Amino acid sequence: MVKFTAEELRRIMDYKHNIRNMSVIAHVDHGKSTLTDSLVAAAGIIAQEVAGDVRMTDTRADEAERGITIKSTGISLYYEMTDESLKSYKGERNGNEYLINLIDSPGHVDFSSEVTAALRITDGALVVVDCIEGVCVQTETVLRQALGERIRPVLTVNKMDRCFLELQVEGEEAYQTFQRVIENANVIMATYEDPLLGDVMVYPEKGTVAFSAGLHGWAFTLTNFAKMYATKFGVDESKMMERLWGENYFDPATKKWTSKNTGSATCKRGFVQFCYEPIKQIINTCMNDQKDKLWPMLTKLGVTMKGEEKELMGKALMKRVMQTWLPASSALLEMMIFHLPSPSTAQRYRVENLYEGPLDDQYANAIRNCDPEGPLMLYVSKMIPASDKGRFFAFGRVFAGKVQTGLKVRIMGPNYVPGEKKDLYVKNVQRTVIWMGKKQETVEDVPCGNTVALVGLDQFITKNATLTNEKEVDAHPIRAMKFSVSPVVRVAVQCKVASDLPKLVEGLKRLAKSDPMVVCSIEESGEHIIAGAGELHLEICLKDLQDDFMGGAEIIKSDPVVSFRETVLEKSCRTVMSKSPNKHNRLYMEARPLEEGLPEAIDDGRIGPRDDPKIRSKILAEEFGWDKDLAKKIWCFGPETTGPNMVVDMCKGVQYLNEIKDSVVAGFQWASKEGALAEENMRGICFEVCDVVLHADAIHRGGGQVIPTARRVIYASQITAKPRLLEPVYLVEIQAPEQALGGIYSVLNQKRGHVFEEMQRPGTPLYNIKAYLPVVESFGFSGQLRASTSGQAFPQCVFDHWEMMSSDPLEAGSQAAQLVTDIRKRKGLKEQMTPLSEFEDKL
Amino acid sequence: MDLESNYEIGPTAEFIQSNKFTRVALQFPDELLKDAVRVVSALRAKLRTLRESNAEQNDDAPEVGLFVMADTAYGSCCVDEVGASHVDADAVVHYGHTCLSPTTTLPAFFVFGKTPISVPDCVKNLSHYALPNGRRVLVLFGLDYAHSIENIREKFAEVCGAESKPEVQYANVICSVMNPSKGRKVSNEVQGTSDNNSFGTVSANTYSIGGLVWKLPEGHKMDDYLLFWIGSNNSAFANIVLTYNGCEIVRYDALECSMVTDLSQQRKILKRRYYLMEKAKDANIVGILVGTLGVAGYLNMIHQMKVLITGAGKKVYTLVMGRPNPAKLANFPECDIFIYVSCAQTALLDSKEYLAPVITPFEAMLAFNRGCQWTGEYVMEFRDLINSSPVESRNFSEEARFSFLQGGYVEDFDPQGLRS
Repeated sequence: MVKFTAEELRRIMDYKHNIRNMSVIAHVDHGKSTLTDSLVAAAGIIAQEVAGDVRMTDTRADEAERGITIKSTGISLYYEMTDESLKSYKGERNGNEYLINLIDSPGHVDFSSEVTAALRITDGALVVVDCIEGVCVQTETVLRQALGERIRPVLTVNKMDRCFLELQVEGEEAYQTFQRVIENANVIMATYEDPLLGDVMVYPEKGTVAFSAGLHGWAFTLTNFAKMYATKFGVDESKMMERLWGENYFDPATKKWTSKNTGSATCKRGFVQFCYEPIKQIINTCMNDQKDKLWPMLTKLGVTMKGEEKELMGKALMKRVMQTWLPASSALLEMMIFHLPSPSTAQRYRVENLYEGPLDDQYANAIRNCDPEGPLMLYVSKMIPASDKGRFFAFGRVFAGKVQTGLKVRIMGPNYVPGEKKDLYVKNVQRTVIWMGKKQETVEDVPCGNTVALVGLDQFITKNATLTNEKEVDAHPIRAMKFSVSPVVRVAVQCKVASDLPKLVEGLKRLAKSDPMVVCSIEESGEHIIAGAGELHLEICLKDLQDDFMGGAEIIKSDPVVSFRETVLEKSCRTVMSKSPNKHNRLYMEARPLEEGLPEAIDDGRIGPRDDPKIRSKILAEEFGWDKDLAKKIWCFGPETTGPNMVVDMCKGVQYLNEIKDSVVAGFQWASKEGALAEENMRGICFEVCDVVLHADAIHRGGGQVIPTARRVIYASQITAKPRLLEPVYLVEIQAPEQALGGIYSVLNQKRGHVFEEMQRPGTPLYNIKAYLPVVESFGFSGQLRASTSGQAFPQCVFDHWEMMSSDPLEAGSQAAQLVTDIRKRKGLKEQMTPLSEFEDKL
Repeated sequence: MDLESNYEIGPTAEFIQSNKFTRVALQFPDELLKDAVRVVSALRAKLRTLRESNAEQNDDAPEVGLFVMADTAYGSCCVDEVGASHVDADAVVHYGHTCLSPTTTLPAFFVFGKTPISVPDCVKNLSHYALPNGRRVLVLFGLDYAHSIENIREKFAEVCGAESKPEVQYANVICSVMNPSKGRKVSNEVQGTSDNNSFGTVSANTYSIGGLVWKLPEGHKMDDYLLFWIGSNNSAFANIVLTYNGCEIVRYDALECSMVTDLSQQRKILKRRYYLMEKAKDANIVGILVGTLGVAGYLNMIHQMKVLITGAGKKVYTLVMGRPNPAKLANFPECDIFIYVSCAQTALLDSKEYLAPVITPFEAMLAFNRGCQWTGEYVMEFRDLINSSPVESRNFSEEARFSFLQGGYVEDFDPQGLRS
């Protein structure tokens, strides 16, 4: 059934100009997987008839069941262009055969890490937008991600069938809708413009926008119609294409093109006249089973139907006719081949984004030129569970050189630092594999520009890695991916049967590997924690854990747990002092909140421990109003040396201060990881060392004396500075019709959410609502929302910021105090907070 | 209760007299130190009368020298042999709570003390657990209640009557006299053939922990039993909870005359220990804290730990510092983790206050042995651990180690130098 063999594929892999690596990205439920099906059908992997129903790339049972994509899935497609269709192709090419490595990605925001991983290894993106719903939240997010990775987009306006069948929209109205969709997308793209990538906006008249009906397997670009009419009007194709979009009107009565609607009844926009109406006509004829009318029309269009197909009725007939007339695969694949870059083109400008090392070394050059003879540079973007339990394929893209079976490769993990041996392994590739639909084919080697799956490295790669040849010790790794979501929702898991613990541990390891976003860790209390981007994500993770990675052993999960942060509201009311255990050393400190925006700057890495002090003090002075000298006196950041808290030295003329610096820093790292309130991480606190009194004898001011003291004085200063809890808040975007708004508002109100934007989507009865919702309250939110809007509202939640809870945790009975008690209970700490007197000493 | 019987003056004198010890160290824990003077004078008087009665046989027997030892450097539950050897003592009498860890050089006599207990109330509670559903119950107790166990056993048999015979087992105290482990070694070898995989046991169905010993009928497993603990919530009990974490455990508090069934706090300890173990895996520099100079086999244990740690590619320091506290340990901020080699009942230090966690040798063995996985078993006494063959299990799997603290794979030392 498959129209091509692995050998054929392998052959085209060497023609780097004839490869297109692309991902399909879109908002949830805009029809990515369905559309992908029709492309796959073109490659002959599935039958044309069932295209649209199979959802080839949804390989998992739960994906099929829920009707959403969870994991991104890659498929290599082979497509042969005709000479005629290629005659206007200007770029370099090598014959007519093309290899398209396509990755279908999930649309739900909880899985957007999958999108990030997909984008990394592709050069182009097919952005799918529902023609009715238009550009949605996730469309924007993924577009932003794509452009950030320098991925060139093309657009397809999908679900055209809805216009014709469900809504029966008139031509002009439909045009306006499409126009708006494209405009919206262009607005986003224009915001992220990148000089190297050039103009990334999409234009129907240039062929970078397609119109598709994934479900029925047909699609067209204006090129299709331009070809059809060019000869008729005696103009060339590109001229014709321009006429088919925008302010170009044609009056069949006068047979004249105008740039304005002349007002006569027969004068219609070019697009409506020549594209929309003919399609509409065919569809209507099919649906009404007016076969006597249909056949002549089809003959005129040059479409011939086979014998048994003529027997079809209604929708099936329409689907068949449209697929034959305007096959989705050829329209879309041609658009990709024409307008998306080949690896050799794309890597020229992507190298800057990709390579961490100097851009003039041999590795950068090999990537830039997509040089198959250069040193191997391969980025593993994700791990795919293999059919034999417990093993994984390392899936990635070869950017330079060749990877072959048996090759000894250097594996540079995410924590690898050039020149060090940390996170570095040298191992053999057991097999190189390419993906062809649901099955894999082993090939001898894979040259640069292609995606590949490797066997035998899974024990050394957690989530992603850069691979290079064994000898290339100077190579820097390819930059790690930056995810747009963060794992804020956590559950504690334990096994029902205590002796299953080894299984659980093993399962968690595999889970951590299989998903780029999930974090498996262990709490101080000894509980295993799984952290994910959202409720749905966690649900899927837990299911995978139990069924696939633990062989069905039962697990108990806790209610979702949200982590909080501890901060302070004001400067400490007084300078607090703590004495060392031997009473011979005294530390004086104050705490104050960091300036607004500074914690975020630290999170983003704009300010951090490894900055050039000059640049750092410049940013601090200019943006946050710090004193220039003070900015030089930052001792450290924490927790984990990079967190959004710091210690600043404010002392004057203290002897031996440098000797105890390390001890104070150690105490701070410890304390900022476990704040005084509920042992949550601190955030946005600046600790100022005001004065230090030390014993003259070094032996009496060692770490043993200073570290515990530093910790105590930090706690004391935190407690005296009006401590507060920070809770994580989601940005929720909901799209719903007007009548559902009431329900949405009431659910949001119950859940402490507040709406800050409500906007009607132009030209639709739909409203876009943006709101903030505390993560704690978000559990069961989608369910409740569905219930109270009879399924019309579907929320997308993304972590947005930390918000201070106004109530005082030190005041008994307040909401924050209750929360602190709950957290302490869960962690197995004393329910009462340790009082200030335990931390602060009197002179 | 009077001093004489509480401190077992008579048997003590008997022990000294019959073994012809001439210099005897009396080791008191802090809380009993106040009675030391009275105990010594009573003991001296008793010894004198004993000697006078034997005067005819050997006249030239010298007066017995008695020395009071207090403020033990390590846990006061262990016999302080080093302290005793300072006065050249040839025996030690140990008062108060003890872990009954074997001694290396000196014979010891243990006086557990006698805490009062309401036997009828205890029996009532015991029958509440043992009678209704014929559950198998194992009675364990703090050594200070050893004096009334016989009493409880009889009373309980009376309550049950003859018609039903619930399955209740009682533990026994090993002995109150302990001879140096040279003698024990031999017996260990004889009994210890099946020692390797059954934890906390001496032989197939005989179990011993913290000075208690009991034998289960053929074919019974520890997990089948409900453990009924008589005594306070001390380290001995914590030890039982950790070791037999698969069993249902209840505690009868004799001071309050009440049952305590909620042991979630104790269970949490186990999870916490598990976390510390995971943390230990990430450590690079390990400090071995010598927490005992008395318990037999401690040198062996330290040596074994060193081999284990260097084998895992980590650095090791040995530190002798008496009883550890946070300030002392923070003087070694380089150490990522400490292993506390000590007797079973002082080994658990809750490390919340410590900069680096403190773990037990058993935990270290799990943490530093690649491929070793924790299945819920827990061993505290290292004489059980010492035979359990850790070092040879070097089936080095090639996989990189997954660290739950960092949520990813981490580089470990590679003994074969496979990686360049």
